[in-house]
Amino acid sequence: MENIKIEASDRSPEVDFDFDKNVYALRGESYPEDVTAFFGPVIGKLEERLGSLKGAEVQFDFELVYFNSSSAKVLMGLFDMLDETAAEGNAVVINWIYDEEDDNMEELGEEFAEDLENVQFVMKKMAPS
Amino acid sequence: MLADTMYGLRNSLREQGIVFCYSGFMTEDVLSGIGDAIKRKLAFDDADTRTARGVFSVFVEQVQNVIRYSAEREPPGGGDEKTELRYGVLTVGKTGGKFFVTCGNLIERRDVERLETSLEGIQTMDRTELKALYKKKLRGEVPEGSKGAGVGFIDIALKASEGIEFGFLDVDDEFVFFTLKAFI
Repeated sequence: MENIKIEASDRSPEVDFDFDKNVYALRGESYPEDVTAFFGPVIGKLEERLGSLKGAEVQFDFELVYFNSSSAKVLMGLFDMLDETAAEGNAVVINWIYDEEDDNMEELGEEFAEDLENVQFVMKKMAPS
Repeated sequence: MLADTMYGLRNSLREQGIVFCYSGFMTEDVLSGIGDAIKRKLAFDDADTRTARGVFSVFVEQVQNVIRYSAEREPPGGGDEKTELRYGVLTVGKTGGKFFVTCGNLIERRDVERLETSLEGIQTMDRTELKALYKKKLRGEVPEGSKGAGVGFIDIALKASEGIEFGFLDVDDEFVFFTLKAFI
């Protein structure tokens, strides 16, 4: 499967999906005009890949500065998908990388982590810009 | 006279602490443009990161609510989602050391009760309850008559560290003016 690399824009995050290494990342701000059009295709590919894994190591970095409520719904879907991948016998690490000056983002990470049963959810502070 | 009128409008806005005001049809490009100006103004004001992001976040949810749900639109009755225009009024400012983001738009009378119940519920919830509802809504089915996540109001309440206020005003048989003010 071909790796996906989409540069960040003012309103959409950088998408960096390395299917060979199973290392995935979303970075930046996320409030795209059309959430489904932006995330639909890349998440479709990810779902296909994750569904085919057995005994693999998977890492997903969420390094987001801001996301709107429509993007939050997408994130929730991603977490559930990753949790399921972990339940099927893969070692999944989610890194939630937040700006330490924005405790809203820290709090949201903790909230999302609470509901996940099978992944290792790691909270990390963003490197100072 | 011309200058008097506009200067009067400007002063009236200033007296209310309003720094940004837009009344008109709202589009995603309007959101991008005003959003960028708000970010830059907050940077000049030296607002702390959490506050600045909170103001911006509430602004985005408020404007997207107008773009998606305002009942005042061109063409009247609605058209293609990509080309139709929806009308609303937005103010962003600061009073008594608190930032505020207010939006107002027409809604259909039949939607008043649903909105009022939902917002009254949100107003009485503490942060733990709000976060639980937020997650439930993110997971749940999109409610009828709602595009996007249907969690915009909860998101606003979570970011509005100083609370929310809302109100309704009868316009005619069909329409009611709805406004929501969030303090950050």
